[in-house]
Formats: sequence, C-alpha cells, structure tokens
Amino acid sequence: MGSVPSTYSGTTDLLTLLVLLTEFAMLRAPLLRSQIRLYAFQSLVVTVLAIVVAASRHVPDLYALAAVTFVLKVVLVPGLVLRLMRKADTDLAGSSVLGVASMILIAILVSVFGFVTITTLHLHSDVLPTPTLAISVAIVLVAFVLIILRQDVVSQAVGFFSLENGVDVASLVVAAGLPLLVDVAFLFDLLVAVVVFGVIMRVHHGRSNTLSTHDMDRLRG
Amino acid sequence: MLNPYGVQVLQVATIVGGAPLVSGVIAHVEGRLQGRRGPRILQPYYDLAKLFRKENLVTEESSWVFLAAPIVAFACYLIVPLLIPVLTTYGLPLGYMGDILGGGFVLSLAGFSVALAGTESGAPYAQLGSSRAMTFGALIEPTLLFVVFAVALITRTDLPYALAATVRLSASEMVRPAHVLAAVAFFLLVLADTGRIPVETHSGTLEFGMIDEGRTLEHSGPALALLQWGSNMKQLILYTILIDVFVAPWGLAGSGRVLSVVLAVPALLGKAMVVGLVFAVIDNSFSKLRLFKITEFLAASFLLAVLAVLVYYVGGG
Repeated sequence: MGSVPSTYSGTTDLLTLLVLLTEFAMLRAPLLRSQIRLYAFQSLVVTVLAIVVAASRHVPDLYALAAVTFVLKVVLVPGLVLRLMRKADTDLAGSSVLGVASMILIAILVSVFGFVTITTLHLHSDVLPTPTLAISVAIVLVAFVLIILRQDVVSQAVGFFSLENGVDVASLVVAAGLPLLVDVAFLFDLLVAVVVFGVIMRVHHGRSNTLSTHDMDRLRG
Repeated sequence: MLNPYGVQVLQVATIVGGAPLVSGVIAHVEGRLQGRRGPRILQPYYDLAKLFRKENLVTEESSWVFLAAPIVAFACYLIVPLLIPVLTTYGLPLGYMGDILGGGFVLSLAGFSVALAGTESGAPYAQLGSSRAMTFGALIEPTLLFVVFAVALITRTDLPYALAATVRLSASEMVRPAHVLAAVAFFLLVLADTGRIPVETHSGTLEFGMIDEGRTLEHSGPALALLQWGSNMKQLILYTILIDVFVAPWGLAGSGRVLSVVLAVPALLGKAMVVGLVFAVIDNSFSKLRLFKITEFLAASFLLAVLAVLVYYVGGG
C-alpha cells in the first residue's frame, strides 16, 4: 500500500487537478463564450487554491493575492473579452484543426510528457507537493496545445490567459512565500496581455471580418 | 455466527432479490421528478411475474444461441456478486476466485452473449443495438482497465476488498487525487454502462437512439424476463462496486454475526437507492448526447482514469 498523502497536499492536488480538467474542458468547448466562462471558473479555482495555501501555510499576503486574482481574473478579464466578442458579433463557434477525441488524446500524451519530465527530475521535498508541480506543468503544456490547435483569436487569447493560470498555480505551490509584489507584477503582465489581445481581436476582426486565424498563415505584402 | 458460505449465498440473494426493487424506486422517483405519479415501486416484480407466465416466441431463423443467451447472461450476473464486497468487509471463501478484472470479464461475457443473441435474431433493430453495444463496449474497456490500474497501484493488489479496506482506513484516502479521479471515472462508466441519459434513454421506444435496450427487442416471455432481471442486477452490481469499493464502504458487516449481516442488506439497498436517486436527477437534468458525441463522453472518462494513474506515479498522490 502506498503512503497516503496528507490532507493538505491531497486538497491542493485536487484543486490543481480541477484546474487541469477545466483546461481540457476548454479544449473541447465548441462555443467561444463557454470557453471564456470556463476560464472564469478556472480562475475561481485558482483563487480558492490561493486561500487554501494562505490558510494552511499562514501566509496572509496570499489572501490579498486571492482577492486581486478574483477581481481581475474571475470578473474583469472574462467580462472584457465577452464584451469584445459581443461587439464582434461573428464566429461564435471556434474552429479546430482536429476532432475533439483526437485533440483530447494529443493533450493526454502531452500531459503524460509533463508528468514524466517532472518525475525524472526526482524532486523530493516535504514542503513541495510534487504532483501539484507536475500538474501545473501539464496545465501549461495543454494550454499550448489549445493555442496551437484552435484557429481563432479568442481561443488563443483564452489559451494564453489560462497558461498564466498554470504558472500562477506553480508559483503558489512551489513558492508560497513569494513577495506579493512579484505576484502582482505577474497579474499586471496579464493585464497587458489582455490589452494586446483586445487590440489584436479588434484589428483582425476589422480587417478580415472574422475571428478565425485560418487565413493568417500566408505572408502577404 | 453465520457460515461464510451462507453469507456468500446471501450476497447473491441480495442482488437477485433487491435489483428489481432498486430499479422500481428509481423509476418511481423519476416519475415524480417529471411531474407524473410514477409506477408502483414493486412494479418491476409484477412485470417479471407477468413475463414468466407468457410463452417464449422465437423467430424461425434463430438457433439455440438465441434461447441460451438470456440464461448465460443471468448466470454471469449470479457469479459477479460472489467476487465483490456486497455485505461483508472481510473476504468470503469464494471472494478470491477472481479480482476486479475477473469480475469485469464475467460482466463482458454477459454483454457479449446478449449481443450475440441480438445479432442472431436477424431483426434489424436488435442487430443495430448489438453492434452499437459492442462498439461502445470496446471504448469503455480501456477506461475500465485504467481504473483497475489506479486501484491496483493504490492498494498493491487488484482485489476489490483491499481497496474498500484502504478507504475505510483513513479519511485522507477520500481526498487522494488518484482515488477521486478513479472513482469519478468509474462513476461515468456506470452511467454509460447502465444506459443512463448522457449516453442512452433507458426507458423509451425510440429505436434509433437505442444501444443496450435495442439488443433485447426480439426476445419475449421468460427469456425477456431473464434479460430484464439481468439488466436490473447488472445495475445493482455496478452500484454496489461504486458504493462498497470506491465511495462509501461503510455499514458492511465486519464479522459473521447474524444481526450485522442481516442489517447490511437494508444498508446496501438503501445506499444503492441513494445512488439511484443521483442517477435519476442526472437523467432528468441533461439531454441525451448525439450518438457520435458518445466517444467524447467516453474520452472524458478515459482522461480521468489516465490522470489517476499519472498522479499516483508522480508523487504517490
């Protein structure tokens, strides 16, 4: 019988897994709108994770981070993207290169790669739950799959944002005592990304009247 | 103290006798949820009694396979309760005859024989149902394997009794990611295997959506009764595995004392009814998936089962 992990690491593992599963759900969600809602849900789980880590490791800074995360990622960013989409008013369903089942299989393979990589590093420490680190690497990799396989601006933006969620999870678990300033800097990065992606969405939609990036793989003068 | 073999017989008797009751309760609650009065709780028993009194009609093209299949399937469903913890926490004499995989094989044999009979009848809808059941069965199998792998990794054995004991041992097992993922994957499998709504409408007459139900369209009389009783038993067996192995292995008899064994029977049936209520609520809150979307549903359960194994491998989670 293997050693049962402690309740703390079990809970953090479960929450991180939930983040990974929402990443997979984004991969299969056909509607862009539901993708954005999934992102909001994912950010909510990250917020809960921050609160759990704050409570059990006694890092009061993280409560502030959780509050900022909630306001920014659960309310503000999804709201902004949804508003942009309402203005664009086209292409509500995203496009993907492959069928759903094969996308999921590829994503499974990629996350297996992430898990195996972390296992071969042989990181063992009492304060670091290794599974959580492996799962957050898997989150980042699956986010890459999402960005690569979906051919529309919104999915790619959401993929980028959720990639940031994956990094956030890793930093929460690996370095809970990270100065608040650094975390806030990360979040500020996210805001910049939102602005950039917002501009891309509007310009692209204004020029080609679609959100699909399908025609953007050719160089044109 | 009860004889262990007596307890073992009682396990089978509980499944055989209790299965129609659980189905009846689910059908009744479902009726209530839909604003109907719903059938009587004991209706499945009356149905079975009526079917056993009727004659057995066989199409001219069919051979003995058509008649043997219901009996083979029923026998399979009688064997599985010997292998899983139904009433007791301790292993019974015949309980180590086969592991989880063995039980899975016996269940597959039952499904296979029914599908064979469906194909043999020569009727288009029965053949359609059989073909679909086999197709999706092949997709369910890998998930089941990975669930078994996860269980085997956690307990270092693939006996259902061992996992139940692990869960009872400590509460932190319940938040162990590998366990939770395997349990949820198994839950989705049960949903698919008992013909519940995201996959199939279990009570209806729409042949085009049928998978498991379609296979038995040509049977009648006692043969049909055996098949229906068998599918009720399969449902209760899967619920029992879900409850007594994964989710809530409490309320089982710890010793062969008469009182604790006798009390374990209503405890099991009660828990099965609660699980049945959950399934009924799911049944009434979602719409059926299109046939070709079922692969996505099964891919999701496969994902959970694979993640269970992976998470275990990384850090004993």
